Parts: sequence; C-alpha cells; structure tokens
Amino acid sequence: MAEGMEHFSRPADPVGRVLYRIARVFAILGGILLCLVGLMTTVSIVGRFVFSAPVPGDFELVAIGTGLSVFAFLPWCQLMRGNVIVDFFMDKAPIRAKTFCDTVGGLLYLGIGALLTWRMVFGGIDMYKYNEVSMTIGFPRWTTFPISIVLMGFLVIVVIYTIFRSIAETRAGRFFDEGSGSVG
Amino acid sequence: MSSLAIGGVGFVILLGMLAVRIPIGIAMISVGITGYLTIAGPIPLLSYLKTETYWAFTTFDLSVVPLFLLMGQFAAKAGLSSALFTAANTWLGHHRGGVAMAAVGGCAGFGAISGSSLATAATMGQVALPELRRFNYSGSLATGALAAGGTLGILIPPSVVLIIYAIMVESNVAALFQAAFLPGILAALGYMLAIAIVVRINPEAGPAGERASRAAKWAALLEIWPVLVIFLLVMGGIYAGVFTPTEGAAIGSVGTFLIAVTKGGMRLEGFLDAILGTAQTTAMIFLILLGAKIFNAFLGFSELPLFAADFFQNAGLSPFVVLLGMIILYILLGFVMDSLSMILLTVPIFWPIIAGLDFGLGPDETKLWFGIITLIVVEMGLITPPVGLNVFVINSMAKDVPMLETFKGVVPFITSDFIRVAIIIAFPVITLILPELLAVE
Repeated sequence: MAEGMEHFSRPADPVGRVLYRIARVFAILGGILLCLVGLMTTVSIVGRFVFSAPVPGDFELVAIGTGLSVFAFLPWCQLMRGNVIVDFFMDKAPIRAKTFCDTVGGLLYLGIGALLTWRMVFGGIDMYKYNEVSMTIGFPRWTTFPISIVLMGFLVIVVIYTIFRSIAETRAGRFFDEGSGSVG
Repeated sequence: MSSLAIGGVGFVILLGMLAVRIPIGIAMISVGITGYLTIAGPIPLLSYLKTETYWAFTTFDLSVVPLFLLMGQFAAKAGLSSALFTAANTWLGHHRGGVAMAAVGGCAGFGAISGSSLATAATMGQVALPELRRFNYSGSLATGALAAGGTLGILIPPSVVLIIYAIMVESNVAALFQAAFLPGILAALGYMLAIAIVVRINPEAGPAGERASRAAKWAALLEIWPVLVIFLLVMGGIYAGVFTPTEGAAIGSVGTFLIAVTKGGMRLEGFLDAILGTAQTTAMIFLILLGAKIFNAFLGFSELPLFAADFFQNAGLSPFVVLLGMIILYILLGFVMDSLSMILLTVPIFWPIIAGLDFGLGPDETKLWFGIITLIVVEMGLITPPVGLNVFVINSMAKDVPMLETFKGVVPFITSDFIRVAIIIAFPVITLILPELLAVE
C-alpha cells in the first residue's frame, strides 16, 4: 500500500505553529469521529447478532462519519507534507528546482481547493433545497456541508501557507524540515 | 481535436506533471478538470464539482479504508510483533537460516491483521533485527528478509490496495480477500524457501539459532492468542460472509484498540500518535481517490479506455502476451511510483482490456485473478530500487548495513516473487478455489 511516512515535523514560525495546532486539533477530532464510527458499527453488529436489533441506518452513518473525518484530515496531511509525489526523476536535481516545483504544486492545489470549496457551497445549498436525505434514516445530507466547507476553507489557508513555505525554501536553498520529498 | 486525442494528451500531461513532483492527487484533479472542461464545457463541469468531493469521501465502500488503517495503527502499538516473532522463532530458529524464516513467519502473522506493508516491516524489524544480528546473520540477508517480509502485510489480506482495486472493477472485496489468501501464504513459503536456498549456498549468511524446548514452543504459541482472536474475528467473519469488510474493520479497530491499551501499554500519547498517523495516510489516499475519480470521469468522456480495449481485442495478440506486457509495465512503474497510485492510474485502462480478452475464465474469475496478479507485481515496487520504501525503512534501522547490501539481499525474494507470479498465472485455481468454496453471494 502507499502509505505516509509519518513525520510529525512542527513548523517553527509563528503562523505555521498556529496552523499546526488547529490542523492537529481537526485531525484529532476527525480521528475520534472515526473511532466512534468503529465503535458504533461494533455495537450495531453485536445488536444484530444478540438482539437482532442493529443500529438503524448504520451503513449511512458510517459513510457520513468517515466522509467528514476525511475532510478533517486533509489540512493535517498537507501541512505534514504527506501527499505522495514521484521523487525519482528529480532526485538529483538541485534543491531550489525541487522547491520551485513544490511551489507550482501548491499553486495548483490552491486553485483546486478554492474551486472545490466554492462548488461545495452550492452543492450544500442544493442538498438543502431539494431536501436530500439518506435512504434509511432520512439523515439530511446538507447538515455536514457547513462543517466540510469550513474544513475545506481551512485547507485552502494551509495550502497558502505551504506555498509561502516553498517560496521561502527556494530562497533559502534548503528544506525547513526532514522527511520532505519522499514517496509516500 | 477528437475526444480520444484529448484523452491521450491528458494522460501524457499527467505523466509529465508527476515527473516534476506535482503530488499525484493534485495532478490527477488538475488534468481531470481541464480535460472535462475541454470535452464537456464549463456548465456540466461546475455542476459536476458541486457534490463530487462529498461523494468521493462519503461512500460506504470506501469507509473500510480509514477503519483498516486505524486497525493497523492500533495493531502496531499492541506489542504483537514481539509475540509473533518469538513464537515463530522457537519453532524455526534452530534451522539454518531459521531466525530469518521466523522473521518472515512473524511478518505473515502480522500481515493477517494489518493491511500495511511499511508498518509490518517496521514493527517486525524492531523485534527481529536485534535477534538476527545476535546470531551473526549477514546484513544483506537480515535486512532483505525483513524488507521482503514486510510486503506480506499487503499480500496477505486485509489489504488497502485490494479494496481500491475491488471498487474500481466493481468486484466483491470479500471475494478478493479470499482470493488473496492462498497466494499470500504461498508468498510467505516462497520467501522462506528463498532463505533456505541462500543459506545453502552461503551457510555463513544465516547460522542456526537456539533450539527451544517443547514446552517453550507451546508457551510461545499461546502468547499470540490476540492475533488469532483478531484474525478469526475480523478476517474469519469477512471470509465467511458473516459481515462486510467495513464491519470487520470496525470490529478489528475496536479489538486492536483494546489489546493496545491492555497488552501494549498504549496511553493517550500513543493513541494520538495512532490517530494522527491514520489521519495523514487516510487524507493522502483520499486525495488520490478524489483525483482518480475526476480523472476517470474525464477519461470516460474521452472514450480512451474503450478504444484501448477494442484495439487490443482486435490486435490478434495472445491474451497472455498482453498480460505479460502489463506486468512488465507495472514493474517499470514500480521503480518510480507507489502501488496505490499505479493501480488508480492504470486499472481504468487495463481492466477493460483484460476483460475483453479470453483467458479461459469467467468474467468474475478474471477479475479476481487479474487483481491478485496486479497486487503482487505492484507490491514488488516496495522492494525494488530506487524507491523501495520497505528497503529504506529496514535499512534505516540497521545503521551498519549499506543500502546496496540491502538491495542485494532483496534479490532472492524478488526472484521468488517472479516465480510466484508465474505459478499464479499458470494455475488460476490457487486464486479461485477459496472464493469458490466460500462463495459469499
């Protein structure tokens, strides 16, 4: 599997430190939500076997819960340089060339992040207007949109920060912390 | 420009972006959006993007991914690797090369409850490496065996790569897990055989370890009960069709959490460490998944996959030549790319091609069989230079072993991988027998 080489490198500058704290809190909350999803599913299975009474709509709650946690994880991953790149072709390139490419990658992510956040606002409004609900328990789908949009907005801020980080690294000619640029 | 040409150009641009360090998920989304815009126009695109992110993340089939990652994180903190290695070592250690075989056996055991190859290599490395060095195993055999053994984390289900493959080809995850089981066991046996051959040629590389008493053997075996319980509960439940993979992963994450707290001494710090690790890997995977979804929507419009399938169907090539070509391409890609990205990038094109060819198997059987072959060849990338992640992880633990030695040590195991791929291609029954016997639906 492709998995993150986890390196919990803390940013040293004041802005980075604040973003780090917020991203960490979001990631932890998302993780706790994921744990609760696991717990609820387990309870539901026990309920199904022992009392033949599963938690109603457990499938839907699992999907909605994990979906929300993914939104909460995105800023943390970006800040931790956790996104997968192919380092092979530029392995021997000068660091400034690498950090320049990282800046371009950051700008693309910024454009995408902003576009998706913008569209999600309308997606949420549609869900609200057409009163879209999940099939079994009628969970109104728009309700998680405001949270997801806030998290996407925060992701955009983190991406802006990482762009400036890459620019500063290009100036300095070195990476500011360990673990950057590895595959995975 | 025809849609088909736009699809082709998009693919080339995507590869170019990957070469210059653009994160894979970002590159796929960028090209996907641009291509979609070119073919379908702005209004459909803007409407498509309204809920695409939401649905990409909020899908029951994909919920299994973060839950298995969470389970793997907790399992790594449960202190199980030590019990597994000790158990394998008391049974195998006294043979020549036995301690290395025990490391592989321990990896296989851990792989049965973890879907992560890096975690398997890392946790098993921590306990096995000191023992291997204590018995004067050569650096290349010790690190090579552990790096290769780590891939069992993926080859033996649960396996995130297989889940993604299953979703892409609309196959049944449980059936794929069943299909992967025997090939996974075969992989472990093949690695042990590779060790046996290495120490026969060069006895110095892997001396025999200590002989354990019969009582010690059984006592050590008893110590691995948590692994057995988790395996029987989670994988047994999934194999038997008692519950879905997502439910299995949920139970597994609760179970491994409890073991990590009671046996592994996990406290708040360890818990936070586990969920932050899960957070990072989950986000990384889902960004690529979102990218693949948007990119594939664009590819679908361009009809490139259809064209490719038609082309190969009418090219008059032997199906096995086409399969061989794909395997070679996977191995080449594996030199530079990680397995998940490879799967997401290639399966949308490769699967329609394979599905259109006649391998003498039913459509569902072909799905399983091709999935297992793909799994094995993409995972070889984890131990091949220059970016074999497992090799890096193990090598960083054994400071005195040069990287080149580790890569040399991996050669016998890669050879074993090649032989296994050939066996699995020649005898589809190895892959297909379990799904047939246990047929879930």
